Amino acid sequence: MAEANKYIRNFSVIAHIDHGKSTLSDRFIQECEGLSEREMEAQVLDSMDIERERGITIKAQSVSLDYTASNGQTYHLNFIDTPGHVDFSYEVSRSLTACEGALLVVDASQGVEAQSVANCYTAIDLDLEVVPVLNKIDLPAADPYRVCEEIEEIIGIDATDAIHVSAKTGVGVRDLLDQLVERIPAPQGDPDAPLKALIIDSWFDNYLGVVALIRIIDGTIKKKQKIKFMSSADTALVDRVGIFTPKLRDLDTLTAGEVGFVITGIKEIDAIKVGDTITDALNPAQSALDGFKEVQPRVFAGVFPVSSDDYENLRDALNKLSLNDASLHYEPENSQALGFGFRCGFLGMLHLEIVQERLEREYDLDLITTAPTVIYEIEKTDGEVINIYSPAELPPVNHIAEIREPIIRGSILVPQEYVGNVITLCIEKRGVQKQLQYMGKQVSIVYDLPLSEVVLDFFDRLKSVSRGYASFDYELDRFEVADLVRVDILINGDKVDALAVIIHRNNSQSRGRVLASKMKEIIPRQMFDVAIQAAIGGNVIARTNVKALRKNVTAKCYGGDVSRKRKLLEKQKAGKKRMKQVGNVEIPQEAFLAVLRTDNK
Amino acid sequence: MTPIPLSLYIHFPWCIQKCPYCDFNSHAVKGELPEKRYIDALIRDLETELPFIWGRRLESVFMGGGTPSLISAAGMQRLMSALRRLLPMRPEMEITLEANPSTFEQERFKQYRDCGINRLSIGIQSFNQDHLRRLGRVHNDQEALEAANIAKQAGFDNFNLDLMFALPQQTQAQAMQDLQTAIECQPSHISWYQLTIEPNTFFHHSPPAHLPNDDLIADIQDQGVKILQQAGFKQYEVSAYSQAGKQCAHNRNYWEFGDYVAIGAGAHGKVSQLQTNTIERYFKYKQPQRYMEACEQGEPRSQTTQLSKQDLSFEFMLNALRLKQGVERTLFEQRTGLSLDAIAQPLQAVIDKGLLSKDAQRLSTSDLGWRFLNEVTTVFLSDD
Repeated sequence: MAEANKYIRNFSVIAHIDHGKSTLSDRFIQECEGLSEREMEAQVLDSMDIERERGITIKAQSVSLDYTASNGQTYHLNFIDTPGHVDFSYEVSRSLTACEGALLVVDASQGVEAQSVANCYTAIDLDLEVVPVLNKIDLPAADPYRVCEEIEEIIGIDATDAIHVSAKTGVGVRDLLDQLVERIPAPQGDPDAPLKALIIDSWFDNYLGVVALIRIIDGTIKKKQKIKFMSSADTALVDRVGIFTPKLRDLDTLTAGEVGFVITGIKEIDAIKVGDTITDALNPAQSALDGFKEVQPRVFAGVFPVSSDDYENLRDALNKLSLNDASLHYEPENSQALGFGFRCGFLGMLHLEIVQERLEREYDLDLITTAPTVIYEIEKTDGEVINIYSPAELPPVNHIAEIREPIIRGSILVPQEYVGNVITLCIEKRGVQKQLQYMGKQVSIVYDLPLSEVVLDFFDRLKSVSRGYASFDYELDRFEVADLVRVDILINGDKVDALAVIIHRNNSQSRGRVLASKMKEIIPRQMFDVAIQAAIGGNVIARTNVKALRKNVTAKCYGGDVSRKRKLLEKQKAGKKRMKQVGNVEIPQEAFLAVLRTDNK
Repeated sequence: MTPIPLSLYIHFPWCIQKCPYCDFNSHAVKGELPEKRYIDALIRDLETELPFIWGRRLESVFMGGGTPSLISAAGMQRLMSALRRLLPMRPEMEITLEANPSTFEQERFKQYRDCGINRLSIGIQSFNQDHLRRLGRVHNDQEALEAANIAKQAGFDNFNLDLMFALPQQTQAQAMQDLQTAIECQPSHISWYQLTIEPNTFFHHSPPAHLPNDDLIADIQDQGVKILQQAGFKQYEVSAYSQAGKQCAHNRNYWEFGDYVAIGAGAHGKVSQLQTNTIERYFKYKQPQRYMEACEQGEPRSQTTQLSKQDLSFEFMLNALRLKQGVERTLFEQRTGLSLDAIAQPLQAVIDKGLLSKDAQRLSTSDLGWRFLNEVTTVFLSDD
């Protein structure tokens, strides 16, 4: 081991949402004086507004800290933050690959949750030293003994030396850092070998271009060096290297074992892919690091401006967002009902919601998002296999040999008393049980589930049938043949393409009926009767109608003062603007997401 | 150019108590009414308006409120003579006074009539004691009936009854009963309008229970129109029904986008400035106290705005299409100074939707447009 690396510790924190990762990171930074009091804005690492509001980390970040341990030795700590949601499991695995150890932070009152379990297994698979930490030890409900037992039963690591802390009060934080430098090994790596650096994360900065967060595995990276991205063989010249303290600090070099940033002048986020290997262009490494994957979106939805005038603005906004989000895909889509918009690909539902929220909030756009759908693989009767990204693309039934849908393997962790509810839910969602294992009071259940059922409302339902105790993690497994049909919604006899859904034949009748009655609830009464039908092919499976409003007249006109009347009409007009005119029917935005909320009724 | 007719509106901002549905500028009387000072203020107010209407003749006068009938006969007389002194008037023109049933006294109303007021508009609202109570009206069913009699005996052969429907807990039968009773009072005009919950009213903050639903309201209205029609009251505006030849000239002038001078606390006026070819709206200070002070200083207007082209075409359509027969197309150009081309696009849009009649001479709604008047007028609302 190189002498220089002896005092470096690269670690990340595995924690469930709300278990206090962000507060703990703040404590680390404070303890190591990474920021002055004045700069210490709460929860520094979660920098996006939405991240802060939702209490989750979307993008990984890192911070380098110098910590003088109780033994008098100063250590260089690189804390690599990881995203904390099921949609981002690939990013998590890349962050973990950059570390030699991980802190498993568990809420001392709530215990272990599936998200942590999945990430913890990834860490163990990657040979990381996992140090269990019990947080929120100051809470009256804290039950460290039970939680340690849980950690041992569920994750299977020794928790007798679990460190007790309260990130909120600061109790135990120094002890934790001392233990960390003791228990987590220093990084290996040969500083004289050809350069091999892992891209942990990358993001777009308006002033710097794309910034890549990297871990040097072997060799050295320095300014002016010509580097190569091994997945694409693209080359670039290094402009700047350095570390985050968490402020950006320039250095001349980064060597094996270190974590920091590299800036090259590249402007396209796609060119710097998470998980890719950087090497020296003139003296390249023999092989790239394992585990690189192109990130593929799994959930697709149409995003349309309510007002067609906003199409260009939407395009600009998507373009700007994708500068910083390589996993956001979009291409133009033309809907008969909704006009011009974009079909966007997302990692999962949370990703979709975040993008939608940012478009509306940061770019002030009024949007209609259609119900999310997954990719279907269609084998046509002529033998051709195509992928479809929206129900409207489904070929005519007589051209289809078979439809294959994506299946995920989902891991659920739930207290015993809710197992029955969870199994009932999984069966309703067409799940196939793969494993059921009792681990103390918790039960680990593994199901194969169609992704399409999961994107609907599975996560919400799971939370509600388990009173919030169940946790869930999944990964895409395979495509499998399924008996699927498209249910069309017809408004006044016209198919509304944006309302069509692909569902399993067994559920199609009931879903069709529920969907039709949901439309009846959502579509306001208008000047004409609105006929609503659900149909499979030419076969109408449900019909209902919204009765015409009888009148819409304001009773008294206040003689001289027209301002009040005007205000009322302006309000009516604004209400209309939030609806989409399809034919002569006005359909509110939420109708297009109604398919998501059709189950329980 | 055909002259634009000119009316006068006079506002009286006091009531015995404020009704929970009312969003007019009215204030409950506390202590004695400052009648003399207020009438002085009205006269000063009118004098400051004269420069804007030089040489023009009045076509109608309307005294609204509030409750103008709280003012003494002597006060009214003084006001009327001041009007005659200051402004030329069309002979036999309509001069209306709004009155609430609990203020009716035979003698005073006779004197009102004698000083030239020739039309009454009586705020009955309902003949049903329970509904009157829920509406917070200070009069009872007996007083409501009595008021019409007193009006007739005082010499008012031309009077309007204001009546509301879609009241809390009102059935269709009760609404029809109210109409029947009103018809039996033999008014020349009935304003029959739906109770609407306006912002800034007590009802808006604490909505009454059991308001009829949209379908029941439509049923009530359809049947009511028939009953009134059979009794000789023809609907000529959304809420206005009259015997032949007895349409309200003053309100018609609003709907035909004529001019009106307005005096009194919070009164809204609209006057065309023929020299500059512009149209202005203004309103007076709302608080009675503040208003009177402003008049004494010779500055009663709180705000004046010049109407933009978009405002003009929207406001014209908003008013004109409330008339069942609509208006002559030429009236648009005459009253707004704009060419109809200015609204060619929205006009075509409402014609395409079947909301406007295809009459080449008139601007008027189709049957569908008549029922969905808000949909029609919204189209003429500019986006900015």
